[in-house]
Amino acid sequence: MPDGRLETEGLRKDYPGTVALDGVSVAFEAGKVSALIGKNGAGKSTLVKILAGAVRPTSGSVRLNGRTLQLRSPREALAQGIAAVHQELSLIPDLTVGENILLGRLPKRGHLNLFVAPASRRWVHGRDARATTNDTDGHRRDARATGLIIDWKGAFDRAAAILSELGLSLDVRAKVSRLSIAQQQIVEIAKAMSYAPRVLMLDEPTSALAANEVDRLFELIRSLARRGVILVYISHRLHELSRIADSVTALRDGRVSGTMPIGEATPKAIVQLMFGDDVAAGRPGAAPSGRATVLEVRGLSYRDILKDISLALMEGEILGIAGMLGSGRTELLMSIFGAMRASGGEILVDGRVVRRPTPGRMKRLGLGLAPESRKTQGIVPLMSIRDNGCLAGLAKIAKHGVIWKARQRRVVEGNVRELQIRTPGIERAITSLSGGNQQKVVIGNWLNTRPRVMMFDEPTRGIDVQAKGQIFDIIRGLSRQGIACLFVSSELEELLEVCHRVIILRDGRIAETHSTEGLSLQRLFEGCMGA
Amino acid sequence: MTMVIIAGEIDLSVGSAVAFAGCLTGYLIEAGWPAWSAVIAALAFGAATGAFTGVMRAKFNVPSFITSLALLTGLSGAAFKLTGGYPLTDFPEGFAFLGSGVVLRMPLGDGELTLMFPVVVLACVFVATFLLMNYTTFGRSVYAVGGNAEAARLCGISVGGVRIAVLAITGALAALAGVLLASRMSSGSPEVGRGWELDIIAAVIVGGTSLSGGAGRVWGTLVGVIFIGVIVNGMRLLDVQEDGQRIARGVIILLAVVLSKVQQD
Repeated sequence: MPDGRLETEGLRKDYPGTVALDGVSVAFEAGKVSALIGKNGAGKSTLVKILAGAVRPTSGSVRLNGRTLQLRSPREALAQGIAAVHQELSLIPDLTVGENILLGRLPKRGHLNLFVAPASRRWVHGRDARATTNDTDGHRRDARATGLIIDWKGAFDRAAAILSELGLSLDVRAKVSRLSIAQQQIVEIAKAMSYAPRVLMLDEPTSALAANEVDRLFELIRSLARRGVILVYISHRLHELSRIADSVTALRDGRVSGTMPIGEATPKAIVQLMFGDDVAAGRPGAAPSGRATVLEVRGLSYRDILKDISLALMEGEILGIAGMLGSGRTELLMSIFGAMRASGGEILVDGRVVRRPTPGRMKRLGLGLAPESRKTQGIVPLMSIRDNGCLAGLAKIAKHGVIWKARQRRVVEGNVRELQIRTPGIERAITSLSGGNQQKVVIGNWLNTRPRVMMFDEPTRGIDVQAKGQIFDIIRGLSRQGIACLFVSSELEELLEVCHRVIILRDGRIAETHSTEGLSLQRLFEGCMGA
Repeated sequence: MTMVIIAGEIDLSVGSAVAFAGCLTGYLIEAGWPAWSAVIAALAFGAATGAFTGVMRAKFNVPSFITSLALLTGLSGAAFKLTGGYPLTDFPEGFAFLGSGVVLRMPLGDGELTLMFPVVVLACVFVATFLLMNYTTFGRSVYAVGGNAEAARLCGISVGGVRIAVLAITGALAALAGVLLASRMSSGSPEVGRGWELDIIAAVIVGGTSLSGGAGRVWGTLVGVIFIGVIVNGMRLLDVQEDGQRIARGVIILLAVVLSKVQQD
């Protein structure tokens, strides 16, 4: 087994306003699967991006087998033997498995030029594909560029060889769009392995896989490790780690908070590494009692993502929804709002069943939703703050369909004051605002409809600490006015800080319900993990 | 058309719709309908074809580009079918007013300035569109749908409804143009309007509307129409041949858009 070592020393990455990595020194060894854990924003993805050449560090160095690497682009990282499989698959669905594996490096034949000696398969595997050939005139030419026509047979043979080397069997001529997610995941890995990397990083590879598919993937990872590849495995699923990893390294706030062999990594120890000592965030106290139920969900299901969800929400109550990525949090809010069509169950507002909910209908019944993706779902980027601030509330501002601009201005200026939106004027483009202020415009937009139930999907994603605090204050303020709130967040501390009650979604079901009073972060986290 | 493009859609059928509306009016009048009801029927049919494109978009997710492309040839064929290939000229007397009626005469110097009915219609349509787009919930919804359909949907705006409505309005306006043209030429000819859709889209784009939707001004389109009109007219006065005119128009459209992009950056 060839020995090898990927080390980082004092890696630091500054972003405007935040430090993503603050002096990270870690080492990953060949032949081992090193797990990298940490909550959102701990710096895992920044570290992976730096190693994959997608992001350049502010300072610090990366060494592979003692040699310092310059990683200025993903291409360079690949050339140095570092490959990454990212969480979102990057395959082209309408191309075949073979084409995807060899994308950009398809072997060619049919030489037209005079400089390169004809060779039917001037095609070399992996890193060497970029090797150059010396031609008779002493010109150096890229071996990949020498052919005119794609050598399909050669390409499929090559792809099949890569797959069989990995001990996999897949039809290389099949279209990727016809494969299961697990198979696509395997194609991604084969694509990465076709560069014959010495380091392979896998970011949440199991998040979309079923149990038996996970088994297959783990087998593959194990066999790669046996071949001496340095494997870095990122996962949120703690119970998987004991099956696949040899050691666990945790990041917290941009620093390494600890590394331990897998034998010592009990769930308790891992949570301790990830969160440190439980910061006793202020709890909002008991939920208001004896109030009327505004929103009720009975037996709601959505495809195979949500199963039999039932919940009730009282006036002024803030209900948090916790769960891992892909547990169905967004789908729950979207189906309640009628933006996704539930496949079963019913939704009741004020005790009355809503037939065929649509966003328009739910809006009239008093529901509002600040959606997960601000950029693609929340704002209309070409519009001004004024226009964005009264998209949902247009009907409330207009009389018989006619808008009076003065009134519109008054309403949005009211939002700007109340929600402390920082802007020189409401005629500015919405895109001129910071993320936090954009989010406040989105929230204000909904408050103008005078909602009775307000749903927030990851309202604090990508916004600064101060704006976060302000958004929490806004939510608490709504609660005091008797508006019920549903609050989804990946940041479990946020849920404890803001919500009266938390439900935990796991595998599409409500696994647990807790009052936040006396609930610890560890307990909540373990609930999400199913540990 | 400005509205349609702001909503992120496109209507390629307007040229044929102009021809068809003129022919339909002529056909119905020949069939003995009173002129006013023939005109209304033509407008209603225009709105219906537009709405059809909208429904295909909203319900079946067929791009408006495709449906209106089909309508472009379909309506043109239908116009020929209706007329047998020859212009219909059997219009009653009052009908000419629509295309060439004089609303107002003003002495000006040694000549006089006349205000023709189609100009009045043009002005009314522009003002109405301007008010609709800027001062009504509908207008703002059009911008929202064109700018970010998903955000608009999540704000409870009926995205499909907006798409159907803008296409129906454009269809009706194309029919109106067809009726006015038929009246002016006192014939309903299947040959008119050919290639107009591209001139119209060009005027909208020159007027600063984004082809990807979400941004644009009604006044900008008026400027675009006048701009292109003035240049075409000027070239005619300068005796530039039709082929030369076309080349010049192409160059101008490209230059106008390049200039506005450069200005933005």
